[in-house]
Amino acid sequence: MRANDAIAGLVLVILSIVMIALTASFPDFPGQKYGPSLFPRILGAGLIVCGGILMWNGLAARRGGAPWIEIAPWAKEPRRLATFVLVLVLLLLYIFAAETVGFIPLALLFLVTLFVWLGVRPWIAAATAIAGTFTIYWFFATLLRVPLPRGWLNSIL
Amino acid sequence: MDALLTASRLILDPYVLWVITASAAFGMFVGAMPGLTATMATALLVPVTFFMDPVPALGAIVTATAMAIFAGDIPAALLRIPGTPASAAYTDESYAMSKKGQLDLNLGVNLVFSVLGGFVGVAILIVCAPALAEVAINFSSFEYFWLALLGLTCAVFMTSDVPLKGITSLLFGLAINCIGIDPAAGYPRFTFGSVELLQGISFIPAMIGMFALSELLRGMVHADAQGAVIAQKIGNIFSGVFGVFKRYWFNFLRGSAIGVLIGALPGAGADIAAWISFAVSKRFSKEPEKFGTGHIEGIVDATSANNSALGGAWIPALVFGIPGDSITAIVIGVLYMKGMNPGPTVFLQNPQFIYAVFIIFILANILMLPLGWIAIKGGKQLLRVPRNVLLPVILMFCLVGSYAMTNSIYGVIMMVVMGLIGWLMEEHGFPIAPAILGLVLGEMLEQNFMTSMIKADGAFIMFFERPIAATLGVMTLLIWGTMLWRGIRGRPATLGEAAPAP
Amino acid sequence: MSKISRRTFAASTAAVAASAAFGFKPAFADEAYPTRPIQLICPWGAGGGTDATARIVGVLLEKEFGQPVNVVNRTGGSGVVGHSAIATAAADGYTLGIITVEIAMMHWAGLTQLTPKDFTPLALMNEDPPGIQVKADSAYKTVKDLADAIKGSAPGKFKASGTGQGGIWHLALVGWLKAMGLPPNQVAWVPSNGAAPAMQDLAAGGIDFTTCSIPEARAMIDAGKARSLAVMAPKRAATFPDVPTLKEAMGVDYTTGAWRGFAGPKGLPQPIAAKLTASLKKIFDSKEYNDFMSSRGFGVLWNDASGYAAFMDKADAQMGEAMKAAGIAKT
Repeated sequence: MRANDAIAGLVLVILSIVMIALTASFPDFPGQKYGPSLFPRILGAGLIVCGGILMWNGLAARRGGAPWIEIAPWAKEPRRLATFVLVLVLLLLYIFAAETVGFIPLALLFLVTLFVWLGVRPWIAAATAIAGTFTIYWFFATLLRVPLPRGWLNSIL
Repeated sequence: MDALLTASRLILDPYVLWVITASAAFGMFVGAMPGLTATMATALLVPVTFFMDPVPALGAIVTATAMAIFAGDIPAALLRIPGTPASAAYTDESYAMSKKGQLDLNLGVNLVFSVLGGFVGVAILIVCAPALAEVAINFSSFEYFWLALLGLTCAVFMTSDVPLKGITSLLFGLAINCIGIDPAAGYPRFTFGSVELLQGISFIPAMIGMFALSELLRGMVHADAQGAVIAQKIGNIFSGVFGVFKRYWFNFLRGSAIGVLIGALPGAGADIAAWISFAVSKRFSKEPEKFGTGHIEGIVDATSANNSALGGAWIPALVFGIPGDSITAIVIGVLYMKGMNPGPTVFLQNPQFIYAVFIIFILANILMLPLGWIAIKGGKQLLRVPRNVLLPVILMFCLVGSYAMTNSIYGVIMMVVMGLIGWLMEEHGFPIAPAILGLVLGEMLEQNFMTSMIKADGAFIMFFERPIAATLGVMTLLIWGTMLWRGIRGRPATLGEAAPAP
Repeated sequence: MSKISRRTFAASTAAVAASAAFGFKPAFADEAYPTRPIQLICPWGAGGGTDATARIVGVLLEKEFGQPVNVVNRTGGSGVVGHSAIATAAADGYTLGIITVEIAMMHWAGLTQLTPKDFTPLALMNEDPPGIQVKADSAYKTVKDLADAIKGSAPGKFKASGTGQGGIWHLALVGWLKAMGLPPNQVAWVPSNGAAPAMQDLAAGGIDFTTCSIPEARAMIDAGKARSLAVMAPKRAATFPDVPTLKEAMGVDYTTGAWRGFAGPKGLPQPIAAKLTASLKKIFDSKEYNDFMSSRGFGVLWNDASGYAAFMDKADAQMGEAMKAAGIAKT
């Protein structure tokens, strides 16, 4: 999906205005006329200028016949779109469930689902997922002592 | 001389040699895996080195980082994902070369010039460590402010075709860098009461997201299209490298010199060295129009620079106990743990350790040639794995790698959010690299700007009062002036850019 | 898809059953503690002084308990992130942390609600006083010269640094000025990203003096780039016996310091806490710990659980007062 530059510019301008508005409550350094708000304001002003030029360019392109939004060819194919959504869903699942469920069960689910969806034969998928999960766990949690979430397996690991 | 002999004896211990070889393999692996960086390799090695004597501990870190910085070039060439941030500057160039069918030459040049750059780094470290650090030690916030601005200016250089989108991307990177505790007053900005947001945008997870996740998303969607991966055979990677050396020997020397200098400056490491030397290469090239189309010239500069920066970073670290980059910041901690307080006294009291570091550096660079060759051949094997198996595993690695950087799920959230933003940016033609550089240098820029303003009581002329600061400042302003002038002249072209091709 | 989720569901049910079966263990396992790896959270980055202290204690605890003790760096937010992680962890003794002087400061600055009361204190193990450092070729030979020059100057003419705005060394400066009867803005504070850049800026001539701790200033002093004029401590530092205390040098009795101690989340079971304090005491008395601390120039100071709690309350009040004087406190 590709939106016209005018839309991107508009989004930038709005976000910059919000950012500058949020700096209003920042305190100044004691005894100085500026403070933590100075830098974001300079950047916000710069982004507004950039956003403005982008809008100008985008509108010129629109007059030249460019559409407001272009859908990339892949996004029109349901299966590819579904892959994209599936990856995002799995990532979100990992973020929300990692602490309770733990790394090992989630990583197995994550890998098997993706492998099978992308067309790996089930037994290869299962074997690779198990090997991959335990190699990663051994390398990070055991060898390098990264505290990967233990979750359900807390008492057995 | 006694110390040199002691140092050699310390290193020629079988255990030490084993540690060095093992950490070389570790470094190659970590560097070649997208989402794992040289800094991370060091940080993750610290708990392991804690149980070792000083010489193997230092050997492990020196070797692993040298290998990782080189190995980062491999996935850059094969997958268009930099293995470490130090390869980010020339990832696009490198991938373009691979696509043109010059994969062998590209990897050979990366390996050979990484080794050579590494040697230049060590040579300078050995010869004039104290003298070089003496220059950097005289930098105050004014000089650092200009240096950071100069680095950012380079970020815009990188995106020649649409400067407007490059600048927008840079400003975006700087703006999101404002999230978290502000570096001058300690005031929490844009955190909306969240404890996690207080730590700001964590750089490594953000980089994994923007460079790796966005690429993986694209890759998964087209997982059935195996052709998108560079599938050329790797032949003799060394053929043609000598020709490149004959043609671009000056680029190699210049890149290595810039690398050592940037590395020696506290706060800037291999990644910034690569950015700057690549930009310098392009600026002074006789054929700047070839950059971006898979041209070897800039790669020679940058791949030499990031490896020589490693040696450079050790200069202030050893001489003054001031880290030259994030890797040596960790190294200094390790040195202290080993009872070797970095500083001039180490040179007097424990010279054998200093010599040991030198010898390990040389050894690591010699080892890099055969191990790098194996890694390149093996990197190919990695990509022989079908995409539908490889991509989910790399994605898992990115998840765990981001987690390991913050030791919390926050790193993963950061990676996913920044990955989606990066994906959207690329879809809309905004280059990602300037945003990443904005994230790296944002704090240094703001901190030194604010510090200087306080010191100058708001008088901007103070930014030009110190000679080095004035030189750097005038340089930066000149570059911006030139760019603006070019921008105005090139305006009609920029205007028509958004129009669809007929 | 449905086949996979059923398979994983079966696996996860097994896992739940397993954890339920083993889940009763902690209830009768206080004396067996610890039976699995312990996480030691460090709110500051790898390579720093707090990290180093956490790691040496972690290694020695591991030897003591025969269970892995993993130091986990949870950095950022001026220490808020790591301190929150310790305070909000499960109070089962398997997540502990090293807490630093910032816990007595950041709630005054309005960064968090956390106070020392949100932890189960185990032991205080280190304290480092600030020194007053000038450039090696500075005209000020003694701290009295410097103090007289500051008194005679316009407010804000002198610039000092050592850490961020409102950081511990900024408060040390404010406290020193206050003890001399001067207003907090008599010397302008130049915020820096830690002590190392401040010391470098001092050597580069960007600022007039620093008030960071002696171990932090040490590399630059040893390099002959800086001199320490005095320490804000009750007695001289072992590593720099030639540097006088403020009281000796100018009769101003002002002392402060940055400290580090170990703690768990609030509500740690008493037997576990007692066992940990006893082990930490053993470590504090060990040769390894003392050798390590003196090699880095760190001061050692012991307080057991109740002593540490009282120590933190006192520090909390002192910091609150200094921060209000400096106009940094929000609450």
